[in-house]
Amino acid sequence: MHELLQFFIRNSKWFVFAIYVVLSCMLLFTFNPYQHHVWLTSAGQVVGAVYGVSNNVTSYFNLRENNEDLNRRNVTLQNEVLALREQLQTLREKYTDSTDVMPMAHHFDFIVGHVVNNSVMRPYNYVTVNKGSDDGVAPEMGVIDQNGVVGIVNVVSPHYCRVISLLNPHFRLSCKIKGDESFGSMVWDGKDPRFAVLEELPRHTVYHKGDTIVTSGYSAVFPPGLPVGVVEGNNASENDNFFSLKVRLLSDFTTLNNVQIVRNNNMEELRRLDAENEKTEGNDNDLGGK
Amino acid sequence: MSKATIRYLILYCLLLPIQVIVLNRLVLFNCAIPLAFIYLLTVLPASFGTNRSLSLGFVTGVIVDAFMDTYGLNALCCTILAFVRKPVLHMYILRDEEQTVQPCDMHSLGMAVFLKYNLTMSLIYCAMLFTVEAFSFFDVKRLLLRTVASTIYTFVIIAAISGLYNSRREKRL
Repeated sequence: MHELLQFFIRNSKWFVFAIYVVLSCMLLFTFNPYQHHVWLTSAGQVVGAVYGVSNNVTSYFNLRENNEDLNRRNVTLQNEVLALREQLQTLREKYTDSTDVMPMAHHFDFIVGHVVNNSVMRPYNYVTVNKGSDDGVAPEMGVIDQNGVVGIVNVVSPHYCRVISLLNPHFRLSCKIKGDESFGSMVWDGKDPRFAVLEELPRHTVYHKGDTIVTSGYSAVFPPGLPVGVVEGNNASENDNFFSLKVRLLSDFTTLNNVQIVRNNNMEELRRLDAENEKTEGNDNDLGGK
Repeated sequence: MSKATIRYLILYCLLLPIQVIVLNRLVLFNCAIPLAFIYLLTVLPASFGTNRSLSLGFVTGVIVDAFMDTYGLNALCCTILAFVRKPVLHMYILRDEEQTVQPCDMHSLGMAVFLKYNLTMSLIYCAMLFTVEAFSFFDVKRLLLRTVASTIYTFVIIAAISGLYNSRREKRL
């Protein structure tokens, strides 16, 4: 016994080393980013607060570019509002009494936040935003900025949240070419932060260089029709039945600053429906098995 | 607490925030990132126990991971770095000299040994980090480029920080 103890003490550094390596590997091989513990991510209270303080200084950088982007977006939205208003007016005049043009219950709310930390050069990039569960943010909410889609919330603390950036292969976004119904999934290939790849696009899809890629709206995370990127060309690596397109992203991830977190008010309902669906499917399978 | 310990703690409390707030954002050409916080591990005294340096390495790694959202990556690399610290140091200094190099800084190791030692450690760290990080999409050319670029970048920053920190101390003396 004494010798065994001596042996352990003499070789203690190997055991300590092994313990730490196993611990780190356990952390490292949690591939699902939704399982990350909030304290060990940038959404943690302490880390978030440090980034919040440093962001007070850095948020003044790129103000001019941000302003221009916001102005441009404002003009687009204003034009859209005017066009829709005109359309509504004509419709009202055309069908005066027969239809009630009621305002629809809106499905999506937006929470405005600031990016306090962001990376673009790692293989798996994350963004930290200064809004948390106290502001109504929950995991699996979409995040957009004035130009396009940014990512999806995955870890939330009371005041901060961590977002899986579009520049992270863990995140696949259902997209389509504007004006065409066939959809594919957008994923980052880990190379250039300006480009991503739209995969699994059916081969009969007609596309041109410069076409806008928008969200398909099939995921309930993002409203349909949000701009994501612009077709840059066909990717060299294509398989037989699907296209894969190189897409230039509209959001500039290197200067991300103001973002909006998309809250889907029908999320709970959709999730319940999904759960019920799965349950009945499971029952059907059981019956089939018998 | 000895003077050397206090000086180390001050360095720790300065360098770690500098790393996560400033250096992490100073990415050059989209491939080189300065990981100068490893100086916190390389500067430990030669006689510092392996168990203690392993623990320190792991904790430092976990802290940096939380800031960089790398989840376990830096913890693993820092642990290994703390483990190979002594063997690497013994490549450049004799075992008998161990007691004389209290903190392994530019002052006690001498310029040449200090630079060689830190260059080796930077190379080990960057090679490890980028290899583990790039596990899923392996692109050898990019991996090598990132490793070499980041090693040089890290090394230069470490030399600068060490120079600054020591010159301040010498003035005070």
